[in-house]
This record gives sequence, structure tokens and C-alpha cells, in this order.
Amino acid sequence: MRTKLSKMLGNSAVASFSSSILAIVVGLIFGLLILLFSNPSQAFQGFGTILLGGLQDGLAGMGNVIYFAVPIIMTGLSVGFAFKTGLFNIGASGQFTVGTFVAIYIGVNWTWLPGYSHWIVALFAAALAGALWGFVPGILKAVANVNEVISSIIMNYIGMYLTNMLIVKTVFDQLKNQTLPVAASAQIPKWGIDKIFPYRSVNGAILIVIFVVFIMYIVINKTTFGFELKACGKNPNASKYAGINAKKNIVLSMVIAGAISGLGGALFYLSGAGKYMQVQDIIAIEGFNGIPVALLGLSNPIGILFAGLFIGYITVGGFNLQSFDFAPQVIDIIIAAIIYFSAFALVFKNLLGRVGKKLAKREDEKDE
Amino acid sequence: MKKFNKIITLLLIAAMVLSMAACKKEKSNYEIALITDVGTIDDKSFNQGAWEGVVEYAKENKITHKYYKPTEKSDDAYLASFDLAVKNGAKIIVCPGFLFEVPVFKAQTTYPDVKFIILDGAPHAGDWNPVINDNVLSIFYAEQEAGFLAGYAAVKDGYRQLGFTGGIAVPAVIRFGYGFIQGADLAAQELGLSAGEVNVKYTYFGNFDATPDNMAKAAAWYNEGTELIFACGGASGNSVMKAAETAGTKVIGVDVDQYNESDTVITSSMKNLGKSVVDALTSIYDKTFEGGKSITLDAAVEGVQLPMKNSRFETFTQADYDSIYSRVVNKDFDIKGDQDVTSAAELATDLVTVTVIE
Amino acid sequence: MEYVIEMNNITKEFTGIIANDNITLQVKKGEVHALLGENGAGKSTLMSVLFGLYQPEKGEIKINGKSVNINNPNDANALGIGMVHQHFKLVHNFTVLESIVLGRETTKNGFLKKDDARKKVMELSQKYKLMVDPDEYISDITVGMQQRVEILKMLYCDNNILIFDEPTAVLTPQEIDELMKIMKQLVSEGKSIIFITHKLNEIKEVADRCTVLRKGKYIGTIDVESASKEEMSEMMVGRKVSFAVEKQEQNLGEVVFEVKDLTIKSKHTSKNAVSDVSFKVRKGEIVCIAGIDGNGQSELVYGLTGLTHIDCGNVFINGKDITKESIRKRCKDGMAHIPEDRHKDGLVLDYTLKENLVLQTYYLPKYQNHGFIKFNEVREFARKLIDQYDIRSGQDEDSLVRDMSGGNQQKAIVAREIDRNPEIIIAVQPTRGLDVGAIEYIHKQLVAQRDAGKGVLLVSLELDEVMNVSDRILVMYEGEIVGDLDPNQTTVQELGLYMSGSKRSVKNEN
Repeated sequence: MRTKLSKMLGNSAVASFSSSILAIVVGLIFGLLILLFSNPSQAFQGFGTILLGGLQDGLAGMGNVIYFAVPIIMTGLSVGFAFKTGLFNIGASGQFTVGTFVAIYIGVNWTWLPGYSHWIVALFAAALAGALWGFVPGILKAVANVNEVISSIIMNYIGMYLTNMLIVKTVFDQLKNQTLPVAASAQIPKWGIDKIFPYRSVNGAILIVIFVVFIMYIVINKTTFGFELKACGKNPNASKYAGINAKKNIVLSMVIAGAISGLGGALFYLSGAGKYMQVQDIIAIEGFNGIPVALLGLSNPIGILFAGLFIGYITVGGFNLQSFDFAPQVIDIIIAAIIYFSAFALVFKNLLGRVGKKLAKREDEKDE
Repeated sequence: MKKFNKIITLLLIAAMVLSMAACKKEKSNYEIALITDVGTIDDKSFNQGAWEGVVEYAKENKITHKYYKPTEKSDDAYLASFDLAVKNGAKIIVCPGFLFEVPVFKAQTTYPDVKFIILDGAPHAGDWNPVINDNVLSIFYAEQEAGFLAGYAAVKDGYRQLGFTGGIAVPAVIRFGYGFIQGADLAAQELGLSAGEVNVKYTYFGNFDATPDNMAKAAAWYNEGTELIFACGGASGNSVMKAAETAGTKVIGVDVDQYNESDTVITSSMKNLGKSVVDALTSIYDKTFEGGKSITLDAAVEGVQLPMKNSRFETFTQADYDSIYSRVVNKDFDIKGDQDVTSAAELATDLVTVTVIE
Repeated sequence: MEYVIEMNNITKEFTGIIANDNITLQVKKGEVHALLGENGAGKSTLMSVLFGLYQPEKGEIKINGKSVNINNPNDANALGIGMVHQHFKLVHNFTVLESIVLGRETTKNGFLKKDDARKKVMELSQKYKLMVDPDEYISDITVGMQQRVEILKMLYCDNNILIFDEPTAVLTPQEIDELMKIMKQLVSEGKSIIFITHKLNEIKEVADRCTVLRKGKYIGTIDVESASKEEMSEMMVGRKVSFAVEKQEQNLGEVVFEVKDLTIKSKHTSKNAVSDVSFKVRKGEIVCIAGIDGNGQSELVYGLTGLTHIDCGNVFINGKDITKESIRKRCKDGMAHIPEDRHKDGLVLDYTLKENLVLQTYYLPKYQNHGFIKFNEVREFARKLIDQYDIRSGQDEDSLVRDMSGGNQQKAIVAREIDRNPEIIIAVQPTRGLDVGAIEYIHKQLVAQRDAGKGVLLVSLELDEVMNVSDRILVMYEGEIVGDLDPNQTTVQELGLYMSGSKRSVKNEN
């Protein structure tokens, strides 16, 4: 007879979940070690603060968590979606950036749009821009077999420099070296979310994110399109053998991934949090943070949703850690360590699989 | 198997205990808080300058103090930092830079009992109409005077081919630049130079960053004969310094004493950030604090200066400096600022030729 | 009687599986001892235990009567045990001599002393009649010669116990004969050989005794002389097996599949991988393409099925030119393809069985509605095939294909391809790596299709299969078809001559 644990570890869904949790635990322990190293007397209190994360300030704190989670969930979904087709979309940053710019441009300039549609148009246009940025590496991969990692990285730079140039030409605030504020009608409605989570920057974006998660889950798991995408990702040779048009799927997958990233940029910058695009030669970090989110969520849309919320939670926890005598640099290191350790979820998944088998074997021996 | 379970349980319990401990922690208390803007605390600019002032005053008077780093650059992140600071007992919050204008506008009503000191900015709702409550002191600096001192000293010290590289044409940068030209013009007159002997190339990079592009522009100027550039644009100054190191030429720093940044820095056109913070803190603790207004600190109150101790002048002496400084304090000159003319080329200079490069 | 090797009561378990259950293997000095069993019977595990790769849970190993502990392959080598692997471990741009001494170089002051090595290699080569040229490059010699190099390697380090792991799989009939002679020579010089195989003919020819394993259990050891092939196969499979493939009287119909002047350029060399190949397959006919691996069969199939680009020529199904059509179109036109590499091409291993069963048909209205997959229909369909084709797995239609046995994976592919009711079935080595039972099953399915009036194009490297199943044999050599033979009027030996390029008949112009 097998006991529950070994059975559970054999079950792939449970193994996935527990491996993500284990990855987080290891990351937290690593964070604790750094805390102990830098300030032993307050290390445990500080660790408690990290664990308390957004809950420190109750629902308001969770509002802050949601605010930070929105963009990285979107880029996480983008990366995760491309993963399903076997593509590594490292270009989420560039897609995020062009999406952000287009959203801000429309938010600032197209004030002739009727109020109720202003933000919707901005979101759609942002998704379209992101899609275009995903399309280029997709079509290059499909037609000329150019590695999507390389072309995506190039598109990140093109996106960054082009946006910098366009910002200066169109929506630039000379005095502050940043974009002009968007019209109020271009900000995403609150839809009462701010009543539940009384935090100033929280808004309806999280509902849109959840909607995207839902759609992506359906597409991946319930449709022929998702069936094709996954087949291409899991075994491109067999997909070709089965007559699936791999090239079409590669392009579509990148286009959709790009659209999600672009939408993510719009959701983040149209939140009304007083956040502006800068003219600076830095590639959007939200895109890169999507990678650990996708890894921690094991490319599962629902997993990514929670992974993004977790990282938002930890980010807020890290911010609150400033109540103690830790240098902000140390806090940055701890948070980064926790986030990137989480990305090892896949490693832990394999590890757990092995442990599960060993346990099963030992139990079998005992039974004999 | 059982071991595994035990370990997990132990871990969970430990985590819970720790969280509880965190809840019951003794209230940490930091009376003076500083929120950093985009950069780090050692940014060799506003954060650092203001923080040095905080530390100087707080150490002397044994007052608890701490700086906070916002999670990102956004109004809400700054506001969240205010929240955290206040929760940790802040009674005074120092805000270095104009990025805090909107957040301070919002926070001055949320936290009426907290004093805000905002440097180089005045709180407004995003519409540029300053609304300054009684608990807020907004501090500006007379950059044109600082630039004037630098330009004067440069020409007096023997430099003839000058350059000015601003970051972006924001008012503060413009004031530095105009002052620089006018100071150089005065020195040329006093030295009896002929017209055209002193040239100033004048441009704005369009960014405040250290980029290869900025360095290339500066290097080109140095190659064309420029001897000294007033690098007035945050980190872009480091690009200019690098170019100067290669060309064997000189640089004038800005905002804070940039003596340590490079051997090419002959002096810095300083705002006395530290002193202004110390003064403001002193007034608060002396109960002489006068909030609800904007003040502009000029030479008369030592708001601007050249760091003579850390300058690498050849002939320009402390006496020369003291003399010109007192004349600036006395307002002997009408130094034009950004409100007075629309372009550097329109400055009525007698001897200095200004070439504005778009 | 003295044994050189005694493996007594060996038990080795892996998670959930007992790979070796109380197995005893005793090899006499100077004999060829065959180790017979289907795939998964535990032969490889037993040899890995002997080689020190696994530690048995129970049992003991004696070499020359002395109990020993073998902890790693080095221990095994020190005891004089050597192994010729199924896949040779040779470096292609080394000479024969260099390959043999690799890892055991004799040096003087840090310089290689090749002369001593050469002398020893030449002596051994002559003594055992291996006839290798020490200065040829590995890449230039035939597979059979490469195998001899492997044998020489073992002899060079003075191994007395030689293990041959399925050595005939890659050889032509002529080369197999040569190998048999070499093995006999080796034992006559006092070496002992363990010969792993599942081919009964070879055991009959060369082995003295034979130990049979089945499903990890020890079935028995027999004298080969006194046992019949049928007895041995019954011991191996556990039931009576018919070797003859039963076929109905042939009922030839019209041409269903035609290939005209097909040429495919090689990706690696300047030569054509497939050069000017033409043939026809009629309804009710199994046409077999025989040949040694690497003579253009794979490229030919890739071209026919649309997986690679055809440089020249045409392909027709029922007279319709499909040369330029997509894979899906070919599929709709009635082409079924049982691919050579089922893991690479045939299956998405991380998909469930039901998903794999609709891999080519998921888009049909039967299985989807406005792009949404009808999971119930898919499940029903999968259950039907599982039933009909007896596909066994842990969780039926929801099993991951990766977790299924090779035989059942292949059954799944066969079920999927045949159920589409195709016109022409292209089957490439459909029985590779399968056990006797599964082979029998696959052959029956192919023959059933033939009898139902379909065309079957079978590409095979197994001569038994070629001879037993096909109605017509095309032999491929260096990208060309060099023979068009009737299996009833040819012999394995003649086939071998065609396959090795020593003989070719007039180019077929049927």
C-alpha cells in the first residue's frame, strides 16, 4: 500500500504545486540567511515582516500587492504562453514598452474620444502594438528559423530606443524628463475594487488580468488552437508529422504573447498611480520579471496569477522591511533572491518526482 | 515519510511564530525621515547632499533618523514611503527633488502634523499651481548665482574656450547656464580681454544619463579646442568627465561637490543642500519654523557656493573668491535667470561669444 | 564442472519493477552462452550487474570460482570481462590502431609508443582471423569492420569473458556469417562468450547453451543442440508463437501509390540521398524496401510523407499528384505513416493517449465545435481504439504516452493510422525494439490491411520481416533501388548481396 505522500507526489498537479511552494520556501530561507548575516538582532523580526508581506496593512496592503502584481502577471502570462509553444519570449520587455507608450500616447492626446471608450481604445491599441512587437520575432522564426531569443532581445532594444525617441517627440514633459500625465478618462476605472482594497493605486486592472487568465486557460486547455500550440511546444517533429502548421502557430503564439505584454504595459501605466514613462536607456524590468513569474507558475495561467501575486506580496514585504535597520540594497538582494529562487520551481518539480519514487519504493519494501 | 511531514510542520510553525513576533515588535521610531527619489542614497546629487544634512543635524542633536527607498518611481510609491515613514514615527520628512511635488501636495493634508521639507520643488496638484500648507517648506536655489561664480572663476583662472552641457532645459539647468555665461563675461571685462577671446559653446544633451553618446559629444568639443566644460546634467556629467580624462582637459561639476568624481573637476557649482537641510531642521526644532512658503536660497544665505577647499584652481585664489562672493551677496550684478531671456544667445554679453548648439 | 562466471540468485529491483528476480547464469569456460529473452526480460539489467553498473539486492557473483564484488566497470575489466556494445563507442576520425589503444596507451617519456601496440594488435588480429588494417580510419570502414575493432579492443586488454550485446542487429547476412565464425574462433582459443540476442537462428548456429529469461524471471538453461527453435521461443514468450505470417491469397488491384524519378539531395554530402527512385504499390500488396541502414530509406520516406523537400520527381496517390501537397492534405488523401522514430515523430510523449490518438484528426468536425475540442467524443473514440487494438496502459486514455511501454506506444500509432482508413500505409521499421508478441501483432495488422485491399509500403532492416511479410522486395543501396525481388524466389543470401551493393539487377521499370 502506498501512503498518501508518495501518491501525492506522483500526481503531477500536486507535484507542480508543492514544487512551487518548496521553491518559495528555499528562497525564503536564503533570504533569512542574508538577513541574519547583515543584521542578526533584527533578522527574525525582519523575516516576519517579509512573510507578512502585503498583509501588514490589511486589505490596503493587499491593494498595493495587486498593483505590483498586475504588470508581472501579464508579462508572466506572455512568457508562459510562448513557453507552451516551445518559444522563449524574452522580448516581453520590448512588447511591454511599446504597449505602454501607445497607451500613454492615446491617453494623453486622443482626448476627443468619448470618456467611456478612451481607456478601452488605449488598451486595445497597446495590445496591438505589443502584438506587432511579438510578430516580428515570430515571423523571423517561422520563415527564416531565426532564434526567437536573439530577435526578441533586438526587438527589446528597438522598442526602447524608438519609444524614447517618440516620447521626446510627442508626449514629453520637458521639466520632468518624463511623459505627460494621461487624461483622467484614459485611466482604468476602479469598478469598486478600491472599496475592497482601500489602496490608492488599485483599480479594475486586476479584473482585466483575471479575465485574460481565464481566456488563456480556456484557449490552452479547451481549444484545437491550444491543442496545436501545446503539441508544437512538446514535440515540434511530431506536430509537423501530424500535419499541424507549426509556422502559423509560432507566429500566432508570439503575436498573442506580445499582445498580452503590451496590454500589461497599458494596465500598469494607466492605473492613475502617478507613474510616468522615463526617457532612459533601460529595458523595462517588468518584462524580465515575467520570466520568474512564468517559471514559478509553471506556465499555467492560474499558477502565473498566483505567482505574480506572490511576488507582489514579497515586494511589499521588502518595502516594509525598511522599518528595520537593513540597508535598502540588502533588501533588494533578498527580494531578488526570493524571486529568482522561485524560478527554480521546475528543478524542484523534478526533485520531488524523484523523492516520490524513492518513498514509494521504500514503502513497497516495508510492505514485503 | 514521517520525517518529511515533521519538517514541513516545523517549518510552518516557525514561520507562524516569526510572523507573530513581527506583529508584536517594539515600535521602531525614526523622527527624521528622508525619502530618496529615483537614485540611491549615494547618488552624488540631491539624495546624498540632503541626507548629509540630515545626518549632520541629527547626529549632533541625537535625533533618530532614517532614509526610505520607494519601490519604484511613481507618485503612489512616494506616498507609500510617506505612509511607512510616518508609521515608523517620522515627524519630519525631507524630500530631495521636484519629483516629490505632487506626492507632497497630497501628503501635506493627509499628515498635517508632519513637517515636509521639499528641495527644488513646490507642492502642486499636477497643474503647476503651488499650494503650500503651513507644514511644508519649499526650498529653491539661486542657480544663476552658482553658475555665475563658476563662470567668473573659470575665466579668471585662465580658461578661454568654454563649454556648457546641460542635461535637459529645465529651469534650474537654464539658470545655471545663463549665470555661467554672465560670470565669464564679467571676468573677461575685468581682465580687459578683447571681444571674441572668450567663447562659450552651449547645449543641452536632452537627458541626464551617462551615455556613450554624451561622451562622444563632449569629446568632440574637447577636440575642437574647448578647454573646460561646465557639465550641468546629473549623471551626464560623468560622461563629460570621462571625455575630459581622455583629452586631458577640465570640467566644472554641479549641484554637489564633485571633487572626488574625477581629477579633471576644477571646481563645482554647488547648491548648499546639506546646509539648507540643516537650517530647516534647526528652525523646526527651535520652533522658528515658517512653513507655507517657498524660499529661494541665494549667496546671501550661503545657498550656493564654490567649494574652494576642494578646487583645483591655478591662479584663482580664496581672496578672489571672497571678493566676488561678497559682490554677488550684495547684488552688485543683475544676473539674468530663465524668466528674463528665452535663449542663451540673447544674453547681452559684452565680450563673450556664445554659440548655441541645438 | 568449472564455471568462469557464476551469477547465483541475482535479484535487482527498480521502483515498482523487479528487473531480475532470482536469476542464475552459469557460463562454462570456452563456450558461447546465449542469453535469450524479449525486450524487458531483464537481459540488460543482468549484464549491467555483471559490469558493476548496478548493485544487486541479493545474490552473489563468482568469477573462476571465487566470489567477487564488482562495484564499477573498472572492476569488471580487471576481472577480464569485456563488452561489445550494440552502439559502438568509436571515434570516427581515429585510425583503427588509435581506437584500439585509446585509454590504454603505452607511453615512454610522455610520448606514445605505437610500435608495441601495433605489434600486439597485429598478432591478435591474425590469431583470431579478424583481418583489420590498423591504419584505416574508422569513418572509412564498414560497420562489420567497426565491430571487429570493438572485439579487438576487448582482446587487446586481455579480456577472457566477452559479452556481445545484440551484435547482429546492424550487420548484413554475410557479415553475420563472418561474425559467427569469429565467435567460434574465439571460443576455440579459450575465450568465453555471453551472446545476448532474441534471434533464434543465430543461437542455433553458434551457441552451446542458452539461458532464457522472461519478465525478469529465470526460465531455464538448455542445451542448444537438443532444443528446437519452437521450444526456445515458447520458453521466451511463454506461449506458442507462429513464425509464419499467415496471408491470404494475393488479390492485386490497381496502382494506389506511385513514385516517379524521385531525387532528394543529401543534407550532409554532395551525393544524392535518394537518387532517381521509381516504383509502384498496388492495392492488396505489401511492398518492402530492404537495405542496410543509411542507404536512403529514411530520406525516401521523409520525402514521400512530405516531411522534407523533394528536389525532383513526383508522388501519386490513386493517380493524383501529391508532390507539392502539405502533410495534412496527404493525410486527407489517404496516406498513413508509421514513422521510423516513434518518439521523435510519431507521438507527443507528454500528451495523453487520447490526445495522441487524435493527433491528426482533432480538427475534424467530429472532434471540435467552433474551435473547442469535444472532449467526450475524443474520449469515446480513444476508448474504442484502446478496446479494438488492445492498447494497454496504466490509466487508459488518460495515461501519458511517455509512461507506456514501447509495444503499446507502437500499437497506439498503428491504431491511429489504420483507423483513418487510409489508401496507402507507409510503415518504417514498425517492429523495431518490440518483443515477439508485439511484432506478431503488428505484422498481423499490416497483413490485414493488405488483405482488405490497401497498399502497404514497408521499410525494414530486419531480413526475417522482409522475407516473411512482403509480397515484393525492393532493395535500396546508396539511394538507388538496385533490385526488385520476389520473396518466394530469392534467398537471404541473395538479398544480402544486393544490400551490400555486390549485385544489382536491371533497374526496375514496372
